Amino acid sequence: MKKMTKLLTTLLLGTLATSVFAQQQAASLDQLLKQLEQGQIAQSKENKQREADFNARKAQQDQMLADAKNTRDQAVKLSTELEETFQNNEIELGNRIEALNKRMGELKELFGVLQQVAGDARSKFTTSVVSAQIPGRGEFLDEFAQSMGSTSKLASIEEIERLWFELQREMTQNGKVHKFTREVVAADGSKSPQEVIRVGGFSLVSKGKYLEYIDETGSVAELIRQPNSRYLSSAQTLTSSNGDVVPFALDPTGGSILSLLVQAPDTQERVDQGGAVGYVILAIGAVGLLIALERFITLFLMGSKINRQLKTDVASNDNPLGRVMLVKDENKHADTETLELKLSERILAEVPKITSRLTLIKIVSVVAPLIGLLGTVTGMINTFQAITLFGTGDPKLMAGGISQALVTTVLGLVVAIPMVFISTLLNTRSRGIINILQQQSAGIIAERAESEELAKKGA
Amino acid sequence: MVVFIELMNSIREFLDTGGQVLTVIAGVICLMWLLIFERLYFFFVGYQKMKKHMMQTWQSRGERSSWNAEQIRIANVSRVTESLNHNVALIQSLVVLCPLLGLLGTVTGMIEVFDVMAISGSGNARSMASGVSKATIPTMAGMVGSLSGVFIVTWLQRKTKRRTEQMEDALPLAH
Repeated sequence: MKKMTKLLTTLLLGTLATSVFAQQQAASLDQLLKQLEQGQIAQSKENKQREADFNARKAQQDQMLADAKNTRDQAVKLSTELEETFQNNEIELGNRIEALNKRMGELKELFGVLQQVAGDARSKFTTSVVSAQIPGRGEFLDEFAQSMGSTSKLASIEEIERLWFELQREMTQNGKVHKFTREVVAADGSKSPQEVIRVGGFSLVSKGKYLEYIDETGSVAELIRQPNSRYLSSAQTLTSSNGDVVPFALDPTGGSILSLLVQAPDTQERVDQGGAVGYVILAIGAVGLLIALERFITLFLMGSKINRQLKTDVASNDNPLGRVMLVKDENKHADTETLELKLSERILAEVPKITSRLTLIKIVSVVAPLIGLLGTVTGMINTFQAITLFGTGDPKLMAGGISQALVTTVLGLVVAIPMVFISTLLNTRSRGIINILQQQSAGIIAERAESEELAKKGA
Repeated sequence: MVVFIELMNSIREFLDTGGQVLTVIAGVICLMWLLIFERLYFFFVGYQKMKKHMMQTWQSRGERSSWNAEQIRIANVSRVTESLNHNVALIQSLVVLCPLLGLLGTVTGMIEVFDVMAISGSGNARSMASGVSKATIPTMAGMVGSLSGVFIVTWLQRKTKRRTEQMEDALPLAH
């Protein structure tokens, strides 16, 4: 390699020198030709010198060649020997493995079973709430399953017994209600050690609240959204009980139903899903309810005053019937036709006060489901927009529009149903009062006049 | 006793599958039929008494031709009409409410179905079954309740009108 580099360098330098020389010196073509001739002569001289050198060193070269051949033969011999040893070893190894397999026999199956059981137990322990009480069971099982998977290692009696022990412990703990203290992550993220009650393999409860066990972090956290109060009260009784038998609502799936609970929206979120249309419906409903309340109070007071009026003969000014009856007192000596005209005039003046704003309630009861329908249609438009953009593959993408559609319909009905009921009640009430005014007031006045006459006669 | 308990159990099961709205519908139907029975009782007992009393006082009047007598007669007929009409409008509004409540149940049931779909995907028909039954059973119950009331309400309204006319005839004016 070194020789090669040297040779190359010399050649390169030689060419460079000649070309530089030619450029500098060649004034004419003839001169260049002469120079070239001289250069050739010099080169052939050099070559002859090299040949002589080489011949002189020939013997040395022969010696080197012989050495190299010798080395090669030795290496070939060593390689053959090593290959033979390797093959022998291979055969030996095969024999031994076969012997091992033969000796292990059924034990091998046992290890397979051990690996499987360890894996199953590991996945069971991940979701089991017992892990909250006894941490660190998973690591042993992981290592055990891995070492059983690689054939080079045998399970020791201790390890097999440990597996048995873990399984037995899980089984025993599943049958127990156990109290222990450990760190609990509260809903606001703060950590504090608390007394936790574990109910079998089903639920974790602390301070009357349901907890969840998170295997990834190995921590116990309060559920962000707790179940209904009647379930919570059962958890409360369990927390405060000491050894008595108490009813308790547990999660038979060992926590997965409770964790789905967090995803289910509450009433507030439901209403929010209705969007602007939903709020418009609710606002209209609230206005309708306020009007209805005002009407209820007014009509109720009016009705009770009229009832009082019906029982006495003295007309008072504080109710419609009394005001109508006052007409007679004001026109004592008028003939019947004039009186009738005056009566109907007074009645006509009273009726609008009784029926006012009742139409508004009726309108609310009609309009609320219509706006709900509007919300439904806008929600469906959103849904179809989502379908145009993303296709129908994922129902979750359509869920927003659909829930808007349904929630607005629900809100419309929720407002309309009581409004229909209320408007019927108010209408019946007001129609009763109007009936008394229009058809009975004249009769009442007549009855009063007759009884007065009778009293006079009697006197 | 056992039969009664079994009956109660099956009713409770039915109400559970129908959801909360079904309970409301059941309440509305119960109220409606209570009012209907009250009306029927009034028609056959209370009204007869009232009619007899009215006729007696009218017959016992000395004169039945003056303006006073006419007005008193109008007032009496109006009182009878009022007591005949009592609660009929309410019954009618309950008849109208039943299918509306059924619709409410349908929509809340559908919301539940879509909730399940959002959580577990659309593949699992069995998990949607609860929502679907909450959607369909209230509709059916609302329809049944409304239909059961419609005939009675129409009959009551016709009866009321007829009785009012009869009452007018029963209190004649002497000219």
